[in-house]
Amino acid sequence: MIECTHVYKKYKNGTNALYDINISVEQGEFIYIIGPTGSGKSTLIKLLDGEEVPTKGVVKVVGIDVGSLRASQVPIYRRNIGVVFQDYRLLPTKTVFENITYALEVIKMKKPQVRARAKEVMGVVGLGEKGNAFPHELSGGQQQRVAIARAIANRPKVLIADEPTGNLDPGKSDEIMALLERINKRYGTTILMVTHDLTLVNKHRKRTVVLEHGHIVADLAEGGYVRHDQ
Amino acid sequence: MISRPIKEGFRGVGRHWGMALSSAIAVTITLTIISIFLVFSWHLRVFTKNIEYSMKIAVIVDEKYENEAAEEKIRSQIEQVEGVKAVEFSSKEAEFQYYLDQYDDAAMREVMAPFGDDNPMNDAFYVEVEDGDLIEVISSQIREIDGVEKVDYGGQTTVDVVSAMETIRRVGVIFVAALSILAIFLIQNTIKLTISARQDEITIMRNVGATNGFIRAPFVWEGMIIGFLGSLLPIALTIWGYMALYQHTQGIVFSALFNLEKPIPFSLYISGILALIGIVVGYIGSWLSVTKYLRWKR
Repeated sequence: MIECTHVYKKYKNGTNALYDINISVEQGEFIYIIGPTGSGKSTLIKLLDGEEVPTKGVVKVVGIDVGSLRASQVPIYRRNIGVVFQDYRLLPTKTVFENITYALEVIKMKKPQVRARAKEVMGVVGLGEKGNAFPHELSGGQQQRVAIARAIANRPKVLIADEPTGNLDPGKSDEIMALLERINKRYGTTILMVTHDLTLVNKHRKRTVVLEHGHIVADLAEGGYVRHDQ
Repeated sequence: MISRPIKEGFRGVGRHWGMALSSAIAVTITLTIISIFLVFSWHLRVFTKNIEYSMKIAVIVDEKYENEAAEEKIRSQIEQVEGVKAVEFSSKEAEFQYYLDQYDDAAMREVMAPFGDDNPMNDAFYVEVEDGDLIEVISSQIREIDGVEKVDYGGQTTVDVVSAMETIRRVGVIFVAALSILAIFLIQNTIKLTISARQDEITIMRNVGATNGFIRAPFVWEGMIIGFLGSLLPIALTIWGYMALYQHTQGIVFSALFNLEKPIPFSLYISGILALIGIVVGYIGSWLSVTKYLRWKR
């Protein structure tokens, strides 16, 4: 489902962000990418969602060679994946309902189906009553739920979550984790989650890839992580 | 699905009404000035046409040629000159009567009337030309015809006035064009501000897979709506202002040559032009600024 083969990324300003990254993620897997700030996590996400192009190597998601896409094809490609960010990235002037329907209008889904699907995913994330609220009227946890609802609305095979619990307290983080796990199980969605919340990683154990200074330093199938300098 | 960008465009204006208002005001100010220039240069054109139209060449026939056969020959020769539209004969009696009629004072007319017995006037032709600019050339050609004693066309001053008005009108047209471009820049800049304030929004739209066209359409509609809203006040001012001007002057400035167009439909035409300029300016301005932002982004 996600295939990175000998991927290197060097930015125009000379920064080397990733070295020889090889990751293979199967359909239906739930995997953590962890590492300290500057380890290359964000770059990896940008390569996966098509925002950046690898300097060397191949990034394949749902069978598409992301690096070789033309700029105009990138938006079309993104309809295959759902992305959730730490800062939620909801459209501030649109209601919860409109934020979700926007992602469906983009793929030219018919109006009645758009409404039905939006209501359905709002139910999945437990925000059935908040359709008319604007993002600023919601708590952080609720906003992240909306973002997740939007990301899964068009039934993507892959969900990429960039620090989805980064701005949330432990209680809310657990709720978001439970939601992601539910989506993973119920729909078989492949989930790649970037985080530096070790408590979470150790509590909800899954395959964990550790990045440091742009290198993969560990790929732990059994999950859990003990810092190597401890 | 065509209605989506339109709906989104209206929604955008409503939800960013502060920005929309400042853009609309920029358009309003420019369109008001454009409106004044439109009315002004339109009338200059009408006045010029009127003067040109009323400019006739008076061709005075030599006394020796004052007989039907000779005059018929002169007439046909005049008619053959290129640019001549119509030729009208006026007998020496009619000329004298016209001369008398120039006196407002009845007593004066009585004093002058006896001179008609030994009529000092000559027969004459009045020549209408197709284009006022050609009046000088045509006059000199008519002057060459046998039996023509004198040619008069109101002199060089008239020609100068016409060409001066023509120049002013052309400057006016250039001014309107320049102001329209200025309006595009103003709206482009304000919309650019709106867009940089909404950069995050556009990034998010791209994140969920929206194509450039999908993102651009509502912004462009928003621009057109703002442009149209910006034209409403100038339209109201034009209709009201022109009606007031027309009523105040009774439709006549200085003389019958300078008559104003009837408020309806004239002010409606101008309003249509203003609305169109507003919408087009909004379209171009917003298209330029969104496209600039969308380019070179993955």
